[in-house]
Amino acid sequence: MTDDGKTRYGYSNAISGFFEFPTENARRILPSHLEPVELHHGTSIFAMTAFDFTESMVGHYGEVVMAVIVSPLVKPGERLPKSAFYPYRVATTTKAAREHAIERWHLPHWMDDIGMVFSKDGSALSARVTADGEPVADLTISDHSWEPVSHLYQSFMKDDAGAYLANIVMEGGQSEHEEEKGKLVLHEHAFNRELTISEVYDVPFRELWMRDGRQTFDPLITLG
Amino acid sequence: MEAVQKKPELTGKASTFAEYDYSNFYYGAGDDPMNLLQPFADWYQEALPNGYYLYSEPLSTAPTTRVQVKNRKTGKIVDLLNLASYNYLGVSYRPEVKKAAIEAIEKYGLGASGSPILSGTLDVHNDLAKAVADFKAKEAAIIFPTGYSANIGFISAIMRSGDNVFLDQYSHASIVDGAILAKSKTTFFRHNNPLDLERKIKGVKGKKLVVVEGVYSMDGDVCVLPEIVEVSKRHGARILIDEAHSTFLFGPNGRGVAEHFGLDKEVDFHLGTFSKSLGGQGGFVCGSKDLIDYVNAFGRSRFFSCNLAPMIAAGLIAGLKIVEAEPELRAKLWSNVAFMRRRFAEEGIDIGKSTSQVMPVLVNNDSKVFAVAEEIQNRGLYLQPVTYPAVPKHKSRLRISISAAHTEAELEMAVKVIGSVLREQGIIR
Repeated sequence: MTDDGKTRYGYSNAISGFFEFPTENARRILPSHLEPVELHHGTSIFAMTAFDFTESMVGHYGEVVMAVIVSPLVKPGERLPKSAFYPYRVATTTKAAREHAIERWHLPHWMDDIGMVFSKDGSALSARVTADGEPVADLTISDHSWEPVSHLYQSFMKDDAGAYLANIVMEGGQSEHEEEKGKLVLHEHAFNRELTISEVYDVPFRELWMRDGRQTFDPLITLG
Repeated sequence: MEAVQKKPELTGKASTFAEYDYSNFYYGAGDDPMNLLQPFADWYQEALPNGYYLYSEPLSTAPTTRVQVKNRKTGKIVDLLNLASYNYLGVSYRPEVKKAAIEAIEKYGLGASGSPILSGTLDVHNDLAKAVADFKAKEAAIIFPTGYSANIGFISAIMRSGDNVFLDQYSHASIVDGAILAKSKTTFFRHNNPLDLERKIKGVKGKKLVVVEGVYSMDGDVCVLPEIVEVSKRHGARILIDEAHSTFLFGPNGRGVAEHFGLDKEVDFHLGTFSKSLGGQGGFVCGSKDLIDYVNAFGRSRFFSCNLAPMIAAGLIAGLKIVEAEPELRAKLWSNVAFMRRRFAEEGIDIGKSTSQVMPVLVNNDSKVFAVAEEIQNRGLYLQPVTYPAVPKHKSRLRISISAAHTEAELEMAVKVIGSVLREQGIIR
């Protein structure tokens, strides 16, 4: 946290895959006040992001975010978000990172440390996520052309205490494409219980890779 | 942490043209449906001079191979070689067609003045339906006011809530909207990929409809119909083919891609339009008399619309007669297509998987495609860029339509202009 009320995290890599999955599945995950964005009629978007955080109030840690893409909250006169998401499961490699994110952002966490290993293979970066010693997900994202960006995203959270919104600016070098070169393997594990795995398309229609950048959270907004 | 080299301007509005696209203005939560208007207006104001002015530039002439176009950026009228209009056979401005339309307007006046199921069916509509049924060698046909109307009306006429519609992921919006209107469960399979269709359709119970297009409008590639038919039949699905861009062009008799593959009878439902090859307006479905009677009763987009203007119907009948009487038009079109494919290949210009008269000139550079299109127009060609979200990111292109009316000299000029601009912009070597 700094004097301007914002919270900043530095990362070396953040890879995201966006996958088609049934809107019925998306609605099972989402709270009633959120609407899934549909890629096609009946097809919503599941997003998995793996972060390698290098700078934060709680040190170096890995984080995986499982989310559904939802309608952003648009207000005239305010900066338009690039997109919005509802993270229904977040997991970190350290207890300190987990407690920090729960306390500050009300993010729904897997309550044990996970394992996360990044590996680079040519122009692709993979993240292997494990929990309880078992594989959870293997995500591979390939790169394309790189350019510096600064994009606003919205994250919606909900827990027993209320509903929240965080405006998040992602800065850094970005590669984004729809070449369908990436891959996701979701393993049968309690971590993935919200998903009907056979109905999540295993090739991302969009691959997003950000590196050497900064994630900045505005102060949390409580929704009425 | 390495510093970010360059940051787009952060303002209180969507002022960074390149940061956003149409997809960012579709969804927006909140409590006022007007919330997206101002952000869109801010963005569009910046998008227009950056290339979006190239869309909807008004023509002040017939869509022949040469057109007069008002440049929306400069306001000037310019004379351009037309590579954008459909009119694949170049018949819409033929004297016989114009004469038929003029005679019809003298006889019937401007419009049909009614729904086709009440007072809006004129004898000329029935004549057109019979003419297209005969051309397609089907028992009967039914006419819709537009191609869009034909897809939404037909699909929603035969499919219901609880049924299953399987669509190619590159399906035209009218097909997708038809499935939405039918309230059926909609499943998309990867483009032209029968293996993915197999994966999606396997084990699905109940009524099933697979919808494909003869030629896909953004890539110009032809449906792999034999494989699609095989998978569909094996899983008990009916097949609808939308031949919007292939009727009157493909097959020994010009009936379409189904005829081209010898699968006319294996395909259950045949849909087409009059706006592409004939350069007119309207859509149609043909098949058995029972099918057409049913669609007449339950095709809501037609049922609740005014019928096609009689002058259009009369002009289409005249156009259809030309197409039947002059198969050399098709031959000329395919000769032009072969010429362009050869010349583009020689110039190193990538047209993807197109094997039809629809050719995407792949730029594959979202930030340069508008500059490329603008320069090409400045050098005398009328065409439009296509970019995300109409096509995937980094798959931006210039979409061109070849007509039988083009001369080889015109096409050669087009290749040279496109090639030189792509080279100057570093898209090709």
